[in-house]
Amino acid sequence: MPQQNVMTLYQMFEWLEATSLGVLVRESAWGFPILVAFHLMGIMLSVGTLVWFDLRLLGVSMTGVRASLMYRRLMPWMFTGFAIMFISGFMLLAGFATNAYGNVYFRVKIIAMVLAAVNAFLYHRFTERRIVQWDDAPGPPTAARMAGLVSISVWMTVILAGRMMSYTMF
Amino acid sequence: MAALFVWLEGTRLAITVRDSLTLTGALSAVHLVGFTLTTGGALVANLNLLGVLFPGRPPIEVTRPASRGIALGLTISALTGFLLFAPRATVASVNGIFQTKMLLLVAAVLFHTVVHQRVARVATSSSMRRGTAAVGLLLWTSLALAGCAYILLE
Repeated sequence: MPQQNVMTLYQMFEWLEATSLGVLVRESAWGFPILVAFHLMGIMLSVGTLVWFDLRLLGVSMTGVRASLMYRRLMPWMFTGFAIMFISGFMLLAGFATNAYGNVYFRVKIIAMVLAAVNAFLYHRFTERRIVQWDDAPGPPTAARMAGLVSISVWMTVILAGRMMSYTMF
Repeated sequence: MAALFVWLEGTRLAITVRDSLTLTGALSAVHLVGFTLTTGGALVANLNLLGVLFPGRPPIEVTRPASRGIALGLTISALTGFLLFAPRATVASVNGIFQTKMLLLVAAVLFHTVVHQRVARVATSSSMRRGTAAVGLLLWTSLALAGCAYILLE
């Protein structure tokens, strides 16, 4: 019988929690609150600005601004926020990985983030390709509206589930 | 005022929230959603007034819808915030970080309503617009930081 060297997800989380990063986050007096503060600020910056692009895709706000221009101008702020959110989120996960593993809200949050990524991929791969046909239109096509609606829904789910983790993990 | 907070803590509403960790968590989660809408709207309005988003357009075209987003977010945050405040009214009301958060909230909302919207509406110099945006960004960012601090250090 060949020896199985594949780590399970739980074992990976155990390993992550035992790394010096995980120990530092868990044991440092200020590490946890500072990381949570960065995480929350990252969410406000990323999702707070993304919502306005999603509302433009839905055709309900700032319809006088071209959709492509709106994306270009908001993108640096969104991506900065997402970078802050993901880095601080990963560091927080390292500190409490095994606690998070069994938490239902953590699983909901991860599923919602995967859905957000798939939605963004589909939008950029297909819908955005034909943006010249609807860039100026106050009412974008159904596919763009759906992308905006799904994006708002899943990111709100990420925030709700993420906040619930704080009340159910510790 | 202290008597009012003691009464508020004893209401059925406050007791219901205090007795349920799930309800407290859900309220806190919706509070954060509302606050994200608020800060997102404030950020877009102030960055635009600063001249970094859509410089060729009249600022009011962005400030107007952004202000509606801020109002919606604040409504959600205020309702859930009141429900979260009710069970700990006596402690929260004397907490320095909470008091700072409330002061910054009032200052940010007043500044946005009285100064930012006026500057965005009428033709003013670019230095006036940039100065207004800088003060607005400072107020809303300080409010967000105070909110984070209250969550973590309470």
